[in-house]
Amino acid sequence: MEPENRISNKALTVWRISGIIGCSITWIIVIAVLVLTILFDWPYWIIGALSIISIIQSYLSIFLMPLVKWKRWRYEVRNTDIDIQSGILVIKRTLIPMVRVQHVETKQGPLLRKYDLASVEISTAATMHVIPALDLAEADELRRYISRMASVEEEDV
Amino acid sequence: MSEPKRLHPIAVLLNILKSIKELVLPFMLVIFIPGRNEGIPGWVQPLAVSIIVLFLIVRAFLQWLRFTYRIEDGEFRIESGVFVRKKRYIKLDRIHSIDISEGIIQQMFRLVKVNIETAGGTQADAVLSAINKSDAERINAFISVEKNNKVCDPSGMEQEGWAGKEETMIAPSVYKQTLPQLVFMAATSGAVGVFLSGAIAFISQFDEIIPFGRIFKNYEDFIGMGTVILTSFAITGLLAVYVLATLSMVIKYASFTVMKTEEELIISRGLLEKRQLTIPVHKIQGIRIIENLVRKPLGFATVYLEYAGGSVEDKESLTIMLFPFIKKKHLHGTLGEILPDYQTMTEMTPIPKRALSRYFFRKAAFIIPIIGVLSWVFRPWGFLSLLLLPLGILWAYMQYRDAGWNIDGDLLLLSSRLFSKQTLIMQRSRIQSISFKRSWFQSRKELATISASIKSGVHSRVGVVTDVAENDCQAIESWYVPKKAVDTQ
Repeated sequence: MEPENRISNKALTVWRISGIIGCSITWIIVIAVLVLTILFDWPYWIIGALSIISIIQSYLSIFLMPLVKWKRWRYEVRNTDIDIQSGILVIKRTLIPMVRVQHVETKQGPLLRKYDLASVEISTAATMHVIPALDLAEADELRRYISRMASVEEEDV
Repeated sequence: MSEPKRLHPIAVLLNILKSIKELVLPFMLVIFIPGRNEGIPGWVQPLAVSIIVLFLIVRAFLQWLRFTYRIEDGEFRIESGVFVRKKRYIKLDRIHSIDISEGIIQQMFRLVKVNIETAGGTQADAVLSAINKSDAERINAFISVEKNNKVCDPSGMEQEGWAGKEETMIAPSVYKQTLPQLVFMAATSGAVGVFLSGAIAFISQFDEIIPFGRIFKNYEDFIGMGTVILTSFAITGLLAVYVLATLSMVIKYASFTVMKTEEELIISRGLLEKRQLTIPVHKIQGIRIIENLVRKPLGFATVYLEYAGGSVEDKESLTIMLFPFIKKKHLHGTLGEILPDYQTMTEMTPIPKRALSRYFFRKAAFIIPIIGVLSWVFRPWGFLSLLLLPLGILWAYMQYRDAGWNIDGDLLLLSSRLFSKQTLIMQRSRIQSISFKRSWFQSRKELATISASIKSGVHSRVGVVTDVAENDCQAIESWYVPKKAVDTQ
């Protein structure tokens, strides 16, 4: 029994873009090493190994990982608890009872804003949990719902 | 208590000592570094030092003069600061606990140091470094009266009941640690390691100043005496360090007493520096039992309190010993007297047999590469690293054997071992969140790693058990979040 809601499928695009940004740094290094190799006659295996590594990294961080991560990401907010599932190789499920929630907030970075998304951060007294990339309206609704449910029963820490 | 009061004048001395403590290293550098003061007249150094000392004394005096405290309008008000004036007002009902301690100087003048802790903890709390005992008691009484006015609304009063209150007032439960127990505890504590590493770090600081090379050259005969005498010297040295470490532990925890009043635990200890901690019972989040390698076979354990409070500056307020040394058999009864909420038989449901191979595998995954590298780089002596293999197997087996969980009424128990066995006892209503993690290997064997977080100090304490059977995980899940409640509401 997995939690039923998926996160927005625009999250896939956002993760791919941030993957591309991450990879471009590696590729700049590869180009720099290539220039150095030509200028100073460095052995060719260094540039060979580097480009293979960056090709694999690009494939993983732009294509494979966002897809697997998106497929795994599920959440469900019931009236007594919040159920979150995430992970790539290791699947992690977290249960947070409503009464333990201390505050909820929504956040938007520049990338998320461009795609009209927001992440929801749920804090208890000791831990913090994030649902990344929900549609803005859905995120706002969720924040309102959780904070309303959480304030119903107030207990000591 | 609304008129502003100052600390006892001895606080001036304490202020001076505190700044000297902070300045001791730079001072040492100035005075002891040789070869720097050529060309500077000889009188400059003493003059500089005496100016600094004079400055310290004046500053300490001004600090004392400016520091006033008072209780006014339900607030504890402190005003301080020489150049920058600070006013700190703390609402009385925000005060979590009061920690009373006595250093050597305070003891000489029959004074106490009072630490007032508030929630949040990241903020510096109020410290009154030297006041009369009677004043401290008056503050304590004032605060607890104020808090009771706020807390004890009529409904709460009826729940607790006056009868129970009087009963506990007459006969508060007391737990005492006897001296032989303390000596035994200190001897098995592993404090030697800390002591030794501290000593080594200290000596290595002076490596360049103390001419070890010259000393040892002059004593070539000494080395010529042969290995037997050298070894016996080394062993005597180690023994001396061990005894010293043990003694310092005994002094630190001497006359350890836990007292229980209706709503608070009062823990006091110490010989040279007496400390008294007051902990509100409702702030206690859980209990942690640690059994180290030496104590576990003998059946002894150390019990710690996890509580939502304490301050970052005062490290000791973050890990609080409840019972420094207790026979595990007696734990059930003693807990029943002091903290009945946490009374449980610490019998654990073991993890399934099929998890054993995962424990071996995890150790092998990092021990075998280490052996490989060592054997390759340091041939032929590197082959000795093969000895790590049986050690790793033993370690993995012990970790497997000591991993377990249990549910006892409203309590969740999780136990695991890194080096020492740790058992975390948590109340359901104190667990902030629970997570289950499954890797591909684990889900093939229907196992999962469970972790539960509670608040402890400023951060959190997480209990983790690796490779719990999946249906056990489901049992824990439905205990934690009852599904029926979802339908009815």
